Amino acid sequence: MSGLASQTRSRDFPGTVAAALDAEAWLAKESRALGLGADAEFAINLCLEELFLNAVQHGRANRASISICTEPDGVRVEFVDDGAPYDPTVAPVRRIESSTEDFKIGGYGTGLLKKFSRRMTYQRDDGHNRLVLEFEANAGR
Amino acid sequence: MEMNVTDTADGLTHVVLDGRFDIAGARAVDARFQELAQTAQSVIVDLAKVPFIASLGVRTLMVSAKALIRRGADMAVCGADENVSKVLRSTGFNEVAGLYPDFSSAAAVLRERRADFENRKA
Repeated sequence: MSGLASQTRSRDFPGTVAAALDAEAWLAKESRALGLGADAEFAINLCLEELFLNAVQHGRANRASISICTEPDGVRVEFVDDGAPYDPTVAPVRRIESSTEDFKIGGYGTGLLKKFSRRMTYQRDDGHNRLVLEFEANAGR
Repeated sequence: MEMNVTDTADGLTHVVLDGRFDIAGARAVDARFQELAQTAQSVIVDLAKVPFIASLGVRTLMVSAKALIRRGADMAVCGADENVSKVLRSTGFNEVAGLYPDFSSAAAVLRERRADFENRKA
């Protein structure tokens, strides 16, 4: 992110939906502390909610950790969980393509992750999903 | 998140949301959206005061829209800012519930659609 000093904020969370709420509150506080723009905060918040809920509800994760690092050319966010393997970089993207009543209710998260992040890198590492997302300074614009 | 519902004289239901449509926001309005989906005819969801939406918020809108459409009813969304619109368009939700800049333009489209439907029935 242009003009921002390199800083990192990290926190561990239990794998519960209630903790996802805590993670959103933590992100809002840290975004202000790190000086992130509104669009970057929107994009990061959107992606972290998606990843957190997916890890807890589908991956049955017991723990998740989030690190946010501001860098000269953007924001780097690492999301690590101990749930079932899930690689969003290769997961299919779903989108409603026509006006129909027969659309699916879920499964749109991968598309949102790809749309709102600049780049995603995934690694399965010692029983953990380790996903690094990169965001533009003005992500979401 | 706050949710205010107003019915117009000509059968439109104007739903004004105020707040973040995140996990907590979706929980706060889910039940009322489900109720509306069973009773309303033409629903316009006004997102002008919604600065954030994520997957659970989109899910709430999708569940409601699907139930409405299956009953032959309608949903439209208005007032969404750039980021919120981008989320809705990314999922394709705009294909099933049109996105309009404001209540008036959404209302005009739903009124026209309702009139066409009534004409075809008659």
